Amino acid sequence: MADPYLRVENLVKRFGPFTALGGVDLEVFPGEVHALLGDNGAGKSTLIKTLAGVHQPSEGQIFIQGKPVNFRSPRDASAAGIGTVYQDLALNQLMSVTRNFFMGRELKGPLGTLRIDEMDQIAHDEMLKIGIDFSDPSQAVGTMSGGQRQTLAIARAIYFGAKVLILDEPTSALGQKQQMGVLKTIKRVRARGDIAIIFITHNEIHSRLVADRFTFLALGKIIGAGTSSEIGDNEMRRLMSGGAEMGDLEQELAGI
Amino acid sequence: MADRSESDRLAKETWLQRTIRRPEIGAFIVMIVIIVALAFASDGKAFNALGLKNNIKIIAQYGIIAIGAAMLMIAGEFDLSIGSMIGFAGMSMALMLKWGLPFGMGEATPFTAFLVTLVMTLALGWIIGTIVVRSGLSSFIVTLAFLFFLRGTTEVAFRLINQSTQVSGLPDFKEESWFANILGGEVFGWFYSAWFWIGQKMTAGVEFPTRLTNENINYLATLNINRRLEQWVTGFDARFLWFIVIAAIAYFVLSRTQLGNWIFATGDNKEAARANGVPVNAVKVGCFMFTAFCATMFAACQVFDTNTSDAAKGNLMELFAIAIAVVGGTLMTGGFGSILGVVFGAITVGLVANAVFFIPEIDGAWFRVFLGAILLAAVFANERIRKRITGGI
Repeated sequence: MADPYLRVENLVKRFGPFTALGGVDLEVFPGEVHALLGDNGAGKSTLIKTLAGVHQPSEGQIFIQGKPVNFRSPRDASAAGIGTVYQDLALNQLMSVTRNFFMGRELKGPLGTLRIDEMDQIAHDEMLKIGIDFSDPSQAVGTMSGGQRQTLAIARAIYFGAKVLILDEPTSALGQKQQMGVLKTIKRVRARGDIAIIFITHNEIHSRLVADRFTFLALGKIIGAGTSSEIGDNEMRRLMSGGAEMGDLEQELAGI
Repeated sequence: MADRSESDRLAKETWLQRTIRRPEIGAFIVMIVIIVALAFASDGKAFNALGLKNNIKIIAQYGIIAIGAAMLMIAGEFDLSIGSMIGFAGMSMALMLKWGLPFGMGEATPFTAFLVTLVMTLALGWIIGTIVVRSGLSSFIVTLAFLFFLRGTTEVAFRLINQSTQVSGLPDFKEESWFANILGGEVFGWFYSAWFWIGQKMTAGVEFPTRLTNENINYLATLNINRRLEQWVTGFDARFLWFIVIAAIAYFVLSRTQLGNWIFATGDNKEAARANGVPVNAVKVGCFMFTAFCATMFAACQVFDTNTSDAAKGNLMELFAIAIAVVGGTLMTGGFGSILGVVFGAITVGLVANAVFFIPEIDGAWFRVFLGAILLAAVFANERIRKRITGGI
């Protein structure tokens, strides 16, 4: 087995008296989709924000290719190859596809001028690689569908050197067909073999369809983890509901 | 079916369709209507040699500050202190030219007076911007505070140093200082020389009576010839040049540079911009400093042109600047706007503001009625454009 690209050891994050993450371990391998599941408030967002350099861990250590790293800002994390695609996608609706693709990392000529033709071409090619043929890169992002926006954000993260792609609930706000489109995109990225994907979701079916490995969070702690062959459907359902037995839950509901 | 993709659903537009849907198109059409209407209503006087000069003078004044305001609005903030900044900068330059530089640095030249003033106004722009981005308060309220603060400071400084709220009778600096001349003198003399040359060719061989009729005078005015058959107007005000320079730089920066992309990104969704590594705060502070710069240029052109200054200069200009930016297609919510549209807006508003001089029958207050009406129309039009782009209905 290959070495994990990203490893997290005993990660603790406290906000004042509140412990959001209480000692989390995680290993993410290139060419694999790692599903991170858990209920609202389980600590998923805190975990990915810590990985993305938005928060600094209170305790514990993050390793990239075995070397300990400290991210002081999102810039540090993205330089280390962690590309985060947030739920809101960090896109600007009024700006064109190309201007969004290169936002903050524009290709510059003399005097800070934009090399716009080259940028159009790259944006088009990179999106084509993961499944969208976009004829007009000067189109405003506001006119794109949710699935297309997701693809744009993923293509952007990969182009700018993401080795770990963190997808924060990429399917949650989409229609059925577009959800499948995003899952296809995830599969295509996985097929490259060099990128590790952390796929955060509420949806057990989606994670089943694409994930190689699972980690379940509840109340800031890991309550279960394993590869897809190790975790059966019943086990998965039990972990999804925060560790409660389905049977217990049924009884509880019946008692009302 | 399978080879149909979502992007196919967006129809390709022709060149004409694209042009019609440009955000500047409304401002452009209004501008053309105003130009034609004014030309007819004034019997051509609005665009004869002197009419053009006077119109361009006020267009350039409005344009300089409107471009600063538009850049800042695109970055997602407002500046209500532009007018007070104009007053402050004018006061600062005029007092230095009359009473010398501060802290006993000796006599002021036009260049040093301008430079010291610019350093102060840029610092004020930096302070305003820093307060806005650090505190997270609305720029509306922070700059409203500076509107009062700077206007008050200007008046107090006038009274303390000068014992009067105006400075007049300064020497005509543009006579000997090239620097004062490029701010307050005349530019593009070749244009009016060429106009006069053509006029001479066209009147060659024409005999005018010794006592010119009104008709003769009006005809000669359109050929840049005065009553003594000499050249009438010699050049545009220098602010025309600065308007062109500032507009060109702003256009270039916004549409062609990384900084432009950052300005749009900051105004559209600053969290998204920040997540992608755009230095949002620096962009905003920079835009506040740019409006301060524009206000200073406005004041410098005024001071060196008229050799006077008073505490009321620039009053209400912040509102005209914002109104023109909106008429030009800039969104109140930021992230979208066009310098070309702002130029059209400045031409429209400038011409209407001046119309009373060419059509004496009308009441000058109609100007504000008109401005209010097109401002309201523009806000609705801009909102439609925003919805179209963001896919709302």
